[in-house]
Amino acid sequence: MTKGRIELGEVTQHNIKQLKRLNQVVFPVTYNDKFYKDVLEVGELAKLAYYNDIVVGAVCCRIDTSENQRRLYIMTLGCLAPYRRLNIGTVMLRHVLDVCEKDGNIDSVFLHVQVNNEGAIKFYEKHGFTIADEKKNYYKRIEPADAFVVQKCFKGDRVAGSSESSIVPSSDGKLNQYS
Amino acid sequence: MPSKNPLPPKENAFFKRILKCYEQKQYKNGLKFAKQILANPKFAEHGETMAMKGLTLNCLGKKEEAYDFVRRGLRNDLTSHVCWHVYGLLQRSDRKYDEAIKCYRNALKWDKDNLQILRDLSLLQIQMRDIEGYRETRYQLLALRPGQRASWIGYAMAYHLLKDYDMCLKILEEFRKTQTPKNFDYEHSELLLYQNMVMQEAGMYQEAMEHFRMYDKQIVDKLYIQETLASLCFQMGQPERAAEIYKSLISRNPENWSYYQKYEHSMGLEGESEERLRLYSEVLEKHPRASMPKSLPLTFITGDVFHKSIDEFLKKALRKGQYLFVSIKSLYRDPCKVQIIEDLVLSYVKNLKEVGKFDSNGEVESITVLLWTYYFLAQHFDHLKNVEKALEYINLGLEHTPLLIELYVLKAKIYKHAGDTGKAVEMMDEAQSLDTADRCINSKCAKYMLRANQIQEAADMCSKFTREGISAVENLNEMQCMWFQTESAFAYKRLGKWGEALKKCHEIDRHFTEIIEDQFDFHTYCMRKMTLRSYVGLLRLEDSLRGHAFFSKIALLAAEIYLHLHDHPLTEGDNDGDLNSENLTPSELKKIKRKQRKAQKKAELEREKQKLEQEKRDQNKNKTTDGELDGPKEEELIPDKLARVEDPLEQAIYFLKPLQTLSANCIDVHVKAYEIYSRKGKLLLMLQSIKRGVAADRSDPHFHICLIHFLQYVKEKGELVEPTKTVIEQEMKKIYEGQTALQLNTDFLSRNMGSLPHRLAGARMMYKLDNSKQKEAISLATTLESEINGVTIKVLFYLTGYTFLFLQVL
Repeated sequence: MTKGRIELGEVTQHNIKQLKRLNQVVFPVTYNDKFYKDVLEVGELAKLAYYNDIVVGAVCCRIDTSENQRRLYIMTLGCLAPYRRLNIGTVMLRHVLDVCEKDGNIDSVFLHVQVNNEGAIKFYEKHGFTIADEKKNYYKRIEPADAFVVQKCFKGDRVAGSSESSIVPSSDGKLNQYS
Repeated sequence: MPSKNPLPPKENAFFKRILKCYEQKQYKNGLKFAKQILANPKFAEHGETMAMKGLTLNCLGKKEEAYDFVRRGLRNDLTSHVCWHVYGLLQRSDRKYDEAIKCYRNALKWDKDNLQILRDLSLLQIQMRDIEGYRETRYQLLALRPGQRASWIGYAMAYHLLKDYDMCLKILEEFRKTQTPKNFDYEHSELLLYQNMVMQEAGMYQEAMEHFRMYDKQIVDKLYIQETLASLCFQMGQPERAAEIYKSLISRNPENWSYYQKYEHSMGLEGESEERLRLYSEVLEKHPRASMPKSLPLTFITGDVFHKSIDEFLKKALRKGQYLFVSIKSLYRDPCKVQIIEDLVLSYVKNLKEVGKFDSNGEVESITVLLWTYYFLAQHFDHLKNVEKALEYINLGLEHTPLLIELYVLKAKIYKHAGDTGKAVEMMDEAQSLDTADRCINSKCAKYMLRANQIQEAADMCSKFTREGISAVENLNEMQCMWFQTESAFAYKRLGKWGEALKKCHEIDRHFTEIIEDQFDFHTYCMRKMTLRSYVGLLRLEDSLRGHAFFSKIALLAAEIYLHLHDHPLTEGDNDGDLNSENLTPSELKKIKRKQRKAQKKAELEREKQKLEQEKRDQNKNKTTDGELDGPKEEELIPDKLARVEDPLEQAIYFLKPLQTLSANCIDVHVKAYEIYSRKGKLLLMLQSIKRGVAADRSDPHFHICLIHFLQYVKEKGELVEPTKTVIEQEMKKIYEGQTALQLNTDFLSRNMGSLPHRLAGARMMYKLDNSKQKEAISLATTLESEINGVTIKVLFYLTGYTFLFLQVL
């Protein structure tokens, strides 16, 4: 029986280094200074996850306005290894989805997942996400370099059909600006 | 007697306006009116007007002119009480209290019943602790204003401070009878409690208890009554009653450990008795969530009972996280208990890693429990000085959860204890960077930097939280942040920058002077608010203020530095901090000196810039306010001047003097005092330090060296003059009991073979008394067997220094 309190907290200039450290440990990709500068501006779209008052996870998103749609892009979402399977990921994802609902004008949520990351794929599928596309050589310095585009749409009829053809594969496009 | 030159109605009206303006702080207007009077040729030298003008100028910060006018005014009108009063006020604003008292007394000569002057005088007298004078003045005030509460209280308090309890109580009782208290009258309650406090101090315990009984309804501080009654019962030999009261206090607040202690004391409970445990189990029944009754028994139970209890205790605490080690630190005095704890916790780690439980028959624990267990073990091994294991566990913790800031803080601490100040700073810096809103960690980081002699970096670290616009160091001085200044002083000393270190010591000394000054306003305030017990407590605190550890620490440091400067005075060319100038070639020396000059110039420019900014800010400030006076401007402390002072020993004595009486139990004080007086050759003062040292801690190794030194010194002095001779002989008989230096030293060594500092001291003396014993002395000091205690980095440092000296002679 796991007894733990899960809470989400703000990212501020005072604790930004904790976010950096977390991302360094959890993800195989490094993010540059501009990433962290922008994170401080997105408000509710970036959160630290606390388990029993210790920072163990984080989520960072941004609004993406490419392709004539207003979509939420999840840039990072993860937590430290010992703390997985404790519901922390779900809490963070639910928060993101809540933000979308409150916003009202967001068409869908999407993100990139490395093709071999089965755990992540299962996690998102459990929450109603589907694999919409595959990007070859999306990642620059890790293997496998390919990524799935995983998404969940909100306004069903509007986006149906246009989602698959509208994602333009681009290795240096806006979606990759932080790698 | 009024002034000898009374003013006609028109001018008198102006004069009255001046007084009003002064009271209302409208200084510019006051000056205008003064001008009007003095412009009239008939009154151009009117004493009282000139005096008031001076006083007004003083409030505007124009001190020189102020004094000038006041003095001239006084000269023109020596029999005017106003002039004397004003002169007294001027002296007071410059903190020249003794002078001020004289002026007030003069003023009273010419106007003996002037209430204002009497009040001012009484304040000064209590400030300077002239209690006899205070009592007289208070009497006069009482005679003049018997209707005022403060008159009675002040008069009674004077007797209290003079320890004439009977008089004091008589007066208080008379006064109390005149009072009609309302419901929940806090001030009346405080009066009664003050009365009771005087009774207790007079040893009238029975009367004090009666007093409580009589006035129970009127006293609002019920807790104080209970606590005091309990201790009085115990002192009057009624322990059962005391125990009863303590029991009721425990049920009022089961977390106050002193109640448990006093209960056990009254019932005579010791050791591991059933009865003793019963108390705690009873309390736990009534208050199952109290933590004291669970942790206190751990200190006295042993064996299996301990094992069971500590097992439960540890598990509960580890589930909560964090403060486990701190709460059971007191148990570490017992090595058996330490072993039990270690075994238990190591078993937890094993089980948690394998099955996620504490032990085989428990529940699965939360993932953070393992983390806190690692944290606890790191602290545990750090306390036992096992650096390797401590680092092992802290690193395990960091691997598990690299974002827990406490882990970095603890790792830094472990490095600090192991002596690696550089790595400690690195870790602390890492910790503070993770949460830059946490001032506590920021301060800790600054402290670690100072320990590593990184003084500028420490100041920069602190500046993240200090006020904008001025340098961190200055702001911390303003805020009387003594820990920073103390650590800086020690850092400068380690770097050999004597002047800078002394500057910090003087700054802290000034803080203490300020704290003593600051009590001035409380004399009226506390009388008015009737918080009499606290007020007397404040007076007593101020009386022994310099006995505080914050002062004694830097006082001893200052004395040490001044002693060093006396023995090795700085020469003309010496730049503060040139520790290694002998080891450099001339060209290297030149390069370093050039660099130093450049750095100095840069620092100068910085200082100038900051000064200009400060002046600009001051100017702006002055434009808005009318110049509040904060007391006299103090002389700036210049490090170089401080280091080259002519009489370093006198300066050292200035710092040590209060400690000799207020910190008489501290052996270091007497050792330092001895070293100072021996350099001055003041035989009787040396003897005084020896006597005090004997009373404090005769077996201290440094003091032992002084004892031997004194014996030799007196021997070498030869024949002494009477009456010194008799005094010395008598006292020395008592202290040395006829032993020779050699006997004393051998005795000392045989008693203290197990402690390295003592062996070192004994070895030094062995060599000093008999040069031929050099080899023996060295081997005595340098053998480091495992049974020897006191092997710390500091002692080893001294040891290598001395051995080097010994070997040089070879």
